[in-house]
This record gives sequence, C-alpha cells and structure tokens, in this order.
Amino acid sequence: MSTKKKRSPHTENSRWVVIAADSIVDVPKTDHGEPTFVRLRNPATGNASLYLFGSGDTDLYEVKAFTEDYHSWFIGQTVQRDGRLLYITPMDPLYLLLPYLQKSGAEGKFQPVEQVVKDEEFPGCTRLLSCTRSLKSLHHVAEEKEVGSLKFHRFSQEKTLDWLKKKVERTVGALRRSSISVGGGVKSSTYIRVKQEEQASDEDHLRYAHGLISEYISEDLSKDLLKHLHLPELSSPKQEPPAKKRKLSDGPVEAKDDYTKFNSSDFSRKPPKKMSAAQKSLAKVDKSGMKSMAAFFSPKVKQEKK
Amino acid sequence: MDLSQFEEDNTVSCRLSSPIPDICKTEDCCLGIDEAGRGPVLGPMVYGICFCPVSKKEDLKGLKVADSKTLTEEQRESLFKKLDEAKSFVGWTLQVLSPNTISTSMLQRTKYNLNALSHDAAIGLVQYALDSGVQLKEVFVDTVGPAEKYQDKLSQRFPGVEVTVRPKADSLFPIVSAASICAKVARDHAVKGWKFLEDLGEVDSDYGSGYPGDPKTKSWLLKYLDPVFGFPQFVRFSWSTAQTLLDSNALPVHWDDDEEDGEEEHQLQNISSYGAQAEHQLFINDTH
Repeated sequence: MSTKKKRSPHTENSRWVVIAADSIVDVPKTDHGEPTFVRLRNPATGNASLYLFGSGDTDLYEVKAFTEDYHSWFIGQTVQRDGRLLYITPMDPLYLLLPYLQKSGAEGKFQPVEQVVKDEEFPGCTRLLSCTRSLKSLHHVAEEKEVGSLKFHRFSQEKTLDWLKKKVERTVGALRRSSISVGGGVKSSTYIRVKQEEQASDEDHLRYAHGLISEYISEDLSKDLLKHLHLPELSSPKQEPPAKKRKLSDGPVEAKDDYTKFNSSDFSRKPPKKMSAAQKSLAKVDKSGMKSMAAFFSPKVKQEKK
Repeated sequence: MDLSQFEEDNTVSCRLSSPIPDICKTEDCCLGIDEAGRGPVLGPMVYGICFCPVSKKEDLKGLKVADSKTLTEEQRESLFKKLDEAKSFVGWTLQVLSPNTISTSMLQRTKYNLNALSHDAAIGLVQYALDSGVQLKEVFVDTVGPAEKYQDKLSQRFPGVEVTVRPKADSLFPIVSAASICAKVARDHAVKGWKFLEDLGEVDSDYGSGYPGDPKTKSWLLKYLDPVFGFPQFVRFSWSTAQTLLDSNALPVHWDDDEEDGEEEHQLQNISSYGAQAEHQLFINDTH
C-alpha cells in the first residue's frame, strides 16, 4: 500500500495496442526473419517516423497512432495510461525513396539507387530497396538506363508528378467509395449531418485527395502537384498564428479605457487564485436552493408569532 | 420489509410500494414525505411517502408514530410493523436512491445536485400516489433547502393539493413521522443487507455511522480504497470526504471536463507540434 503514491514517470510504454492485418503478424517462421519496426525519415516532415517491414523486408507498412487526450486502456487485469491505438497499414515504399532520389536528381546524373538511398541518420532506409515494389516501380519517378546488367536512375519531376496525379485520382475513387465528406464546409466528420451532404464537386474531391497525398510528400512537391492538377491556389485567408497569450508577469499592458489604475507603480495583475481539487469540484456543484454558509451565522430573524 | 427488488440491482434507483388501500382512492387523503440517509457518505438515500385518509389522522396518532430520529431501531421496526398492519387505511411508497445513482447524478457532465435529486424523488413519489388513484388533498413535507421555495415548487407542480413545507415536519405531523419511519427502516435494511458487487472477499462491516465525520467511517473508506478504481459502489463518490481521500490516496485520473490549469496552453502546444505542414483534415477529423 505504501507504493500507491509513487508513480512511475511518464516512460515509454512497454505495450502497444495495435490494429494490424493477420497477414502482417502471423507469418510462418522462415529464414526471412520476423517483421520489424524501424524508424525512417518521414518524406513529408523529414523527421523520424515509425514504419514496419514485413518479414523478409518485402513489404512496407506505416504506423499511425490514434491519440486523444483523456484516454486510457483497460487490458485484461491491468490499466495502461496512454489510450493510443496504433494502426499498421500498407505503404508504397516509393514515397520514402522519393526524397533520396529527388536530392540526388539535383545533380542530374544517372546513378545506381544503392548509391542514392543512403542516410546516416536512418541506416534502415537501405532496406526499402528490398521491398518487392521498390525496384519495380522506380520507373514511375525516374528515368532508367541499363548498362550491361547494371541499372541507373535519374529523378524525373514530370514522371513523378504524373505518378502522383494517378495517386490522387485513385484516392478520389477511394474517397467516393467510402463516402467521406470532402465539401469545403465540412469541419468535422463526427458531427451528425441531418441532411445528406449536397453533392461535393469533383474539385472538392480532387483538392481533398491532394491534401491526403501531401501527407506523404514534401511541401514543395505538394505545391507542384497542385499546379499539375490544375487546381488554383485557394484564396482563403492565411492561417493566423495562434494568438499569443499574454504572460501574467509582463508589466502593465496599455489599457484600453481605464488608465488610472496603472498609475500606481506597484500595479501588477494578480494571478488567478489556485483552488484545491475539492474546491474545484465544489464550485461545479449546482447550488441552487441551498443555504449559503453565512446564513447559519447571521442573526436569526425573529419569526412572527401567529 | 421486502427489499429484494432493490437488492437484485443495487446500482440503480428502485421504487417499492405497499398496496394502495381502497379507502384512499375514494376519500380525501393526506400525505407525508420524508427522507433517510441524506448525509452519510455510505449507502443509499431513501425517500418515503406515507398516506391515509384525512379522516383517519387520529388513528395514526394512536399508533404513536414519532420522528424516527428519536426512536431506537427496534422501536422503528415495531412501528413499521404496525403501519404495515394498518394497511386497510395506510399506504406507503419508497424511492431507494442507490449510492451509485447519487454519485453519477452529482458527478455527471451537467451537475445534478442533491437538493434537485431530492426534490425530484419527492415529486416522483407524489405523482406515483396520484397516478395510483390516491385522492390527495394535503401534502406535508420536511424541508430540503429554503422552505418557501420548495413549497412554491411543489404547489405549482401539484395544483389542487394543499402543500405544507415545514422544518421539523417529521415531529409536527404524524403522517410525516410515518413516512420517516418507512424511509429509515428501508435505509437500515438496505445498508445491512448490502451486497457488494465488487469482489472484496469478507467485507468488514464496521464502518461506524457512515457519516463523513465519523473516524471509523473514514478508516473504512481508506481500507477499501483501490488506487485505480477508488471505492466500492457502496460509497458516494460525490461526497467531498470521498473526493479528498481519492485526491490524496488514489492515482490521478483526468477527465475532459476537468478545469485544469494550463489546459489551454497544452492544447496549443499540441497543435503547433503538428509541424510546419498542417496535418490533413481527414486525420484530424478521425482523431476528434
């Protein structure tokens, strides 16, 4: 009982709650090895993201997390503090190869991919080349040259954009099939729509699909793709930076109406009073119809005798 | 008193009733309302009504019913027996509000305070009597909150019935005393026969009075405090006694309607950590 109060610090959880196809996890034990989680460079952000190589590195999967505040798991007879749900879904390895090809493409030379796909920070990236789809689909984004038995590639912007356009179009198809609302006014799919949404235009679908694909490519490429799709840039107001909170410790701020209260030199805004948890929960209680504490101590009003 | 209906599922609110005497359906009746177990941190709160024809008020005095607080448990039991034997002209109905009902009402997103819960239980019982054909003319109630406001509320709710809300009504009007006995007896039985849903093994029944001020009650609460789940459902979680013990002895649990300091900042941080490129709507939608 004495250990109750001690809390392990917010460490990484030893357990994950994962949704994955059986075909990824239940693989017969072979020489190819088991599926492995690997950190690779995210093509959109350039930062590390978690991916999974299927056994034998023949397939690539991305790992996405569903995270929301105020969620926890009850697993068997235990509680897991983080309510994360991980999804393991198939991924086209070409998206991850693209940044490497693009980088070397700036040199304009044909090169063997093994030379191009190298990353000191993420050495696991070479395993991308073992994926069945990788070498077969390089021609979508690069020109090929064969010299003897050796293959050389050079990044091609036009080919890449055509390939991405096809991806967008296929995504549009998937969006339509799964009836995902893509209209401009849609803010959240969790709100229940009373009316069936009016037919979203082709452009809405295209724009939405472009946004989805942009999660997998660099920002520059995303912009080029927008042009390639003949979608005009939206004239929507630029995202305003989040309003900065005024720090309470900052000196007096210029007052709008009442200047007098700043005249005293020791003026400072009082921080809001801290309330204890019990006070907070009490403050939330509906007190209508209850006597105030003071009522018990005030002099009794003499009741008229009838 | 047969509480088996409540014992079958002590997580919810339950209504128990005597048969309605025929005479109550033809003659003008008076009705008393009282409650038992308002203050304890443990066990249910019981609301009771008792009714009889106005013409039989004197007979009720003959039973020597008195405010339940002035009686011993045996006296209450025997008086309840007498009331039950007078079933030709006395009827009663009870609303047993389980501790779980009280906890979940008071702690839900839209707070439902104990006074409102009490008023609604009383109103529900009076309505039940009316629906059962009792010819109600007079209602006497011990007050909950300001008497005047409560009287107005009940009068408006039941036009044609003369409502009297008075502090200490249980010692002034025999019909209210009778109701208080029914409620108290039911509360005693419910607490004694409490079936714990939780697997606690042999439960130590030495919890004292059940009132927050009782040191025995407090040590019982501490004994059965689970760091993850808190208390058994026998405990009213909404009582500040229970909350305070949880705050200092159980693991912290955060709910999305907690008004924590710095919550807003936390959210802002989250959004900016999405990176330079705003995440696509679909992913954001899916996670909210």
